[in-house]
Amino acid sequence: MAQVATDSVKKNQLQEVVVTGTRTERSVATLPLPTQIITGEAIKKSGLSRLNEIIQEQTGLITVPSFGGGDGIQMQGLDSSYVMILIDGQPLFGRSAGTLDLSRISVNNIDRIEIVKGASSCLYGSEALAGVVNIITKKPKITDKLKGNGIYKIETFNTQDASVSLEYGKKKISVELFGNYFKTDGYNLSESDFLQTVEPNSNLTVQPKLKIDFSDKLNFTFNSRFYNQVQDYKSEIGLLKYTGQSKINEWNNSILGNQTVSEAFKLVYDFYATNYKADEYLNNQNQQLFDESNYNQWFYRPEVRSHYKLGKNTLSSGIGINYETLDRTYFDRKAKLNSEYVFAQFEWFVQQKWNVLFGFRYDNHHQYQSQFSPKIGINYKLNDNFSIKSSIGYGYKAPDLRQLYFDFTNSAIGYTVLGYNVAQEKLETLVSQGQILFTNGFAFSAPLKPESSLNFNFGGYYKKNKISFDYNFFYNTIQNLIDTRAIAQKTSGQNVFSYFNVDKIFTYGLEFNTTYKTSANVTLSAGYQYLIAKDQSVIEKIERGEVFARDATTLSSFKLKTSDYVGLYNRSAHTANIKINYLVPSIKTSINARLFYRSKYGIFDANSNNILDKYDTFVKGYFLSNITINKDFKNQFSWQVGINNLLDYTDKKNITNLPGRQFFTRVQFQF
Amino acid sequence: MLKSILFKSVLLITALSILGACSSDDDTVTPAVTTLETKIYVNLHAPQTGVQGQPAGGPFTKFSFSENAIVTSNNWDIAFRGTTIIVNGGGLIGISDEPARTGSGAVSIVSNTLNAVTAIPSVSSFVQDGPGVYAIPTGSGNGWFSYNAIANLITPIAGKIFVVKTNNGKYAKMEIISYYKDAPANPVSTGETRYYTFRYVYQPNGTTF
Repeated sequence: MAQVATDSVKKNQLQEVVVTGTRTERSVATLPLPTQIITGEAIKKSGLSRLNEIIQEQTGLITVPSFGGGDGIQMQGLDSSYVMILIDGQPLFGRSAGTLDLSRISVNNIDRIEIVKGASSCLYGSEALAGVVNIITKKPKITDKLKGNGIYKIETFNTQDASVSLEYGKKKISVELFGNYFKTDGYNLSESDFLQTVEPNSNLTVQPKLKIDFSDKLNFTFNSRFYNQVQDYKSEIGLLKYTGQSKINEWNNSILGNQTVSEAFKLVYDFYATNYKADEYLNNQNQQLFDESNYNQWFYRPEVRSHYKLGKNTLSSGIGINYETLDRTYFDRKAKLNSEYVFAQFEWFVQQKWNVLFGFRYDNHHQYQSQFSPKIGINYKLNDNFSIKSSIGYGYKAPDLRQLYFDFTNSAIGYTVLGYNVAQEKLETLVSQGQILFTNGFAFSAPLKPESSLNFNFGGYYKKNKISFDYNFFYNTIQNLIDTRAIAQKTSGQNVFSYFNVDKIFTYGLEFNTTYKTSANVTLSAGYQYLIAKDQSVIEKIERGEVFARDATTLSSFKLKTSDYVGLYNRSAHTANIKINYLVPSIKTSINARLFYRSKYGIFDANSNNILDKYDTFVKGYFLSNITINKDFKNQFSWQVGINNLLDYTDKKNITNLPGRQFFTRVQFQF
Repeated sequence: MLKSILFKSVLLITALSILGACSSDDDTVTPAVTTLETKIYVNLHAPQTGVQGQPAGGPFTKFSFSENAIVTSNNWDIAFRGTTIIVNGGGLIGISDEPARTGSGAVSIVSNTLNAVTAIPSVSSFVQDGPGVYAIPTGSGNGWFSYNAIANLITPIAGKIFVVKTNNGKYAKMEIISYYKDAPANPVSTGETRYYTFRYVYQPNGTTF
């Protein structure tokens, strides 16, 4: 994607250029969408090695540990299942339980990460309801000689991370090769001697790229990424212990062709194929197979895009086909999703001060309602330093294959979860087997609808000399939210669940970021987000007097007031960060210190009224601090030492992705 | 500290209500009593046999509102076994070891606070047990409790008031407040379960509470 016109546009060093918001190169200042950039330099200074660690240091982005394992991103108060993750513009797959595990991604070959907040379905379709995170890796370049670097890092918990990257380009051919190996013993915050919070795991990433310039007007890039992960897998059911392994094999491959038809007209040919395969098994104490599950997802997408320049304005359009299959245990047949889509976008620069972005995308789905996703953004330049921006967009997320085809019965407890499309049939089977005590009378006649959202942003961007800041007010509302409901009860007393379009949630808040360079050697930055996230149907229920809580001393019930309602789980009203980078040039040493705050939040309903209210128990607010010291030596050699979670804050019961203090050291060598 | 105060007050209330029950014969002389007494029954033990995944069994613990006591006679109104609660009216559900229904009992589940329920709900809202039908639905979130898998706790759902028609056609309103022994304000998953504590008002001869 970044290849669009890369060769002809001269990069302005002063203006940060992004591609995710429009699929064309745009400066952040003129782009009417809330956008955040994490530079490769900032990643390097932090000394961090996995994407989840980088993401959780950004304003307004919160990593939330999921049941399925791994951390997902919460953005503008919306869940990780609504955030699309792209590598070089191509979507990642493998959300076996809704969340995409960000620790899968090594950050050592990242050029920059672009984050566009707010509904982005107008360009990216389903899943980009809350926003898009686009990880842009280093591109193959003409270097004329072999270049490369090596990185090795060792950290607490016997965590090791080693990367090698090589690049070489001559005449018309350039290649880039990146490899990363990561290994950790994991850590344990639980009281169990048998199960760890994070079991030992290791993974390998190999990412080769090849670019061929056939002529000034035509080039092709071949991108591949192979990822293999192995992790211990254990389970304890009653007194019985089971051990096994889980494995992930992922393969991403894209071919990207850029053709300059004329000075004003460019075409991009984009073919993407990816496979995500996860297999796990458990053996009993006699080493006999007890349980196994497999997950095998394929996705193919051919797409053609065109960019037509009309003076300063650009008309972009695209057409493509999505084809996705998923074969997994708990599906009785291979599930398929296919759709065709078109999108168009006009970047209109009106005189000097205004620019407007119009876009839409139409997805013709074969398995559920087709979707039309429009978006409009306006940017107004008040003066050379300050511009204000606003956007309105429609976002949607199609029901995922699990929500449609799941047929899962928990072996330890005995409850069953059925996908919407198979629920009726499976339920009839259970009834005929005499397993059902009663059904709750749900109908499955109308198809499950996609979740859809409306997103508003209103913000500003200021940059002058040493200071810059941006702010954004956001509002999101999701309709047809998909959630589980009990559809029947088994004779065993356990429930049968399926997925339904239930209610309507909304989130709103303010995000603010600022950076101040006090001198050539000191950079200060700070960020803050205020967030409210609630369920509209809960508010209505409280207003109708249908929600109760229990008095802590008398244990009697009383009616709740709307002001007692806190909102959705896992949302903090206040999150903030302060970062300092201090360079001591005489000894070529820099200190990079970051402090984070997250205010209290609820993770479960302690008083069993199915909502989070002020009488529930909350996870306490907390501070985290990370510090990294970087020293550069001659010959492109650098050395880092650092401490993550310097304050050694843990909440073992509630925050499973926060181990205690971790020390690390990292060396980097370039040639 | 708070816990022990609560426990003592629960004991006191229980003691008072037992005294009240003893003297209840005298009350029948003056039926025009305007204020009905709110009683609390602490630690009704409702054991069951059968472990996870196997059918539950064992006798139900039967309770009589008029006697304010566990009974073994047919003068029971509701009966408990594990998280399952049955009424003395209708027919057999079809579960093991359940007692025969000998009365005209039924239940209407109302969303409200105990004090705010003053009228007997409409006749059509009363449900009896029957083949495959629980008057009080079982399972987490369906009837009187919800189960929190993270905390591994069974909690009575706030605002669930049972208006029970007794075996001989009287009414009582009740609210279950705990499933843990001695009704701790903050039960822990290791606490002893199947000990019901509930607050109730028995109406021996009227149609309002």
